[in-house]
Amino acid sequence: MPERARKANGNGHERAAAAVRAFWSGTISFGLVSIPVDLYAAIRPRRKSMKLVDEEGNPLGRRYVCSKEGKALDNDDLVRGYEIDSGKLVVIDDEEFDSMAPEVSRDIELRSFVPFEQIPPIYYNRPYFLAPAGRSSKAYHLLSAAMERSGRVAIGSFVMRGREYLVAILSENGVLRAETLRYADEIRVPKAVGLPKRAKANAKLVGALLKEIKTLRKDRLDLAELEDREAEALQTLALEKERKHQDVIEQYGLEEEAPEGGAQVVDLMDVLRKSLSKRASVASAERALADSSSRSPARSHRKRNGNGAQRDRTKTTRNRSRLKQSSRSELQKLASELHIAGRSKMDKPALVNAILRAG
Amino acid sequence: MSRAIWRGSLRLGRHRVPVKLYSAVEDRTVHFRLLHIKDRAPVEQRIVRKDTGEEVSKEDRRKALPVSRERAVILRPGELTELEPPASRDIDLCRFVARDALSDQWYDRPYYLGPDGNSAAYFALVEALARTDSIGIARWVMRKKRYVGALLLQDGYLVMSTLRRADQVLSFSGIEPAKSAKPKADELKLAEQLVSSIAEDFDPTAWHNEYRQRVCALIDAKARGKKLEPVKPKRRAARGDLAANLRASIAAAREKRVA
Repeated sequence: MPERARKANGNGHERAAAAVRAFWSGTISFGLVSIPVDLYAAIRPRRKSMKLVDEEGNPLGRRYVCSKEGKALDNDDLVRGYEIDSGKLVVIDDEEFDSMAPEVSRDIELRSFVPFEQIPPIYYNRPYFLAPAGRSSKAYHLLSAAMERSGRVAIGSFVMRGREYLVAILSENGVLRAETLRYADEIRVPKAVGLPKRAKANAKLVGALLKEIKTLRKDRLDLAELEDREAEALQTLALEKERKHQDVIEQYGLEEEAPEGGAQVVDLMDVLRKSLSKRASVASAERALADSSSRSPARSHRKRNGNGAQRDRTKTTRNRSRLKQSSRSELQKLASELHIAGRSKMDKPALVNAILRAG
Repeated sequence: MSRAIWRGSLRLGRHRVPVKLYSAVEDRTVHFRLLHIKDRAPVEQRIVRKDTGEEVSKEDRRKALPVSRERAVILRPGELTELEPPASRDIDLCRFVARDALSDQWYDRPYYLGPDGNSAAYFALVEALARTDSIGIARWVMRKKRYVGALLLQDGYLVMSTLRRADQVLSFSGIEPAKSAKPKADELKLAEQLVSSIAEDFDPTAWHNEYRQRVCALIDAKARGKKLEPVKPKRRAARGDLAANLRASIAAAREKRVA
């Protein structure tokens, strides 16, 4: 893992292993076999997402106000209206929305199985993990194994929060994932965009470009190329100001925040350990790569010949993962041995960071 | 004809391919306005202090970045401006990998690239990308924001899809089903048969957003003062033994195929 990423992870706001939102519960129907599942986000927001505050650091939020009465409104006071051409509003209430999607909203019916490579990436929209929700996860594992063996993914559709989604369900390492897909009418075709007709390419130029591509070509992607430099820069600035006690908001109370759209925030790790396997572990792509490379022979070879700094970084990774598995009280004990100030107010990630810094 | 949203130049070694960016996605969402249920007046959004409900004007709003669970640090507008990347029209192609090196989880938003001016370089790059069966990884700055993207081909044209960042994409390991949940050999065989009985090629045009169509029909009917019949619920799936259900499903799929 590159220095820059390590630094950002080591000093930055350590996020819970996989705190994600739970979105939907329903059933996958695979022929006559029903598989109850829960749907969780498979991506996290970027670390650069900022909160709105006023000059003193008081948290701000949105409030809906009636344009006629100027009165603040609750969610129960709201209804949706569609403006038709005449300028008139057609009001549609929740019941009417529901009547448009009765039981289908609880069902993902798998209607065909297609080779995954036939779905162009332009269709990919948003990935979710599916965890078995029923008493038995047998049918879940069955579908997963059958898809992995056939090399195909399932296509179906379902309704979630007032929208219908086309979805590809795929299996990877024994876990089912749902990638929502764009509908064909949501994708423009080159002709409609106005792209010119294909022209014959100049062979000499093609040759020159091929040569450039080959020098830059690798079998695997180095995830350092996909790291979030913008978020890192923001984190670095924020931490620097925190050290200097500039513009710091204490007791900000992130946890109290009402989750967007009412989706519950859960730890994916807990969910999967309970429903799938005790040994399940979740990592961001970045961390997964760091963990696997610290185990690989190539890495340990480099470590032997490498400099001290590299050794230290590897040690920190190990300590961090070990610390993260400890309970809060264990961490508190360790923090008290290290005389870390303010330890009683720290949560787990903050304790891990403080201990690493002190050690 | 769509309007280009940005112009830039793909850089590959000492070569440059001037391109225009077009959105590849068309928003088909039915957009509703939020209304007050009582008087049907449109709703306005205000930004208020969470504790007092007091409105806060735009000049008095700040952004804060959380640094731990309880602490956040205010980043002032000037500080944020300083972090803005320098403006540039360059789209740097820094890596090429096999087409399947990136899973679906990475892809965010696709844009078509079209030639800007001379199209010879553009179509040469299309050809080179097709011959190596690879995708390019690119970095660029657009409207003061940094982007990472994957350069790929779609219908013989270049597409740039923005990518999510390494820290966002989650993956799993160590999944091994409990013994009791492991499928039996005969069940697995039946499941594979069921998969192959409804195996097809991917045909996106076969799928329609039925819910969206129904909502549009409902709006239409209501605008004309008519009512719409609610959609009938589907039959429930059968209950019973896993293997028996699989067998019945395969039989049903075969029947459908013959018919």
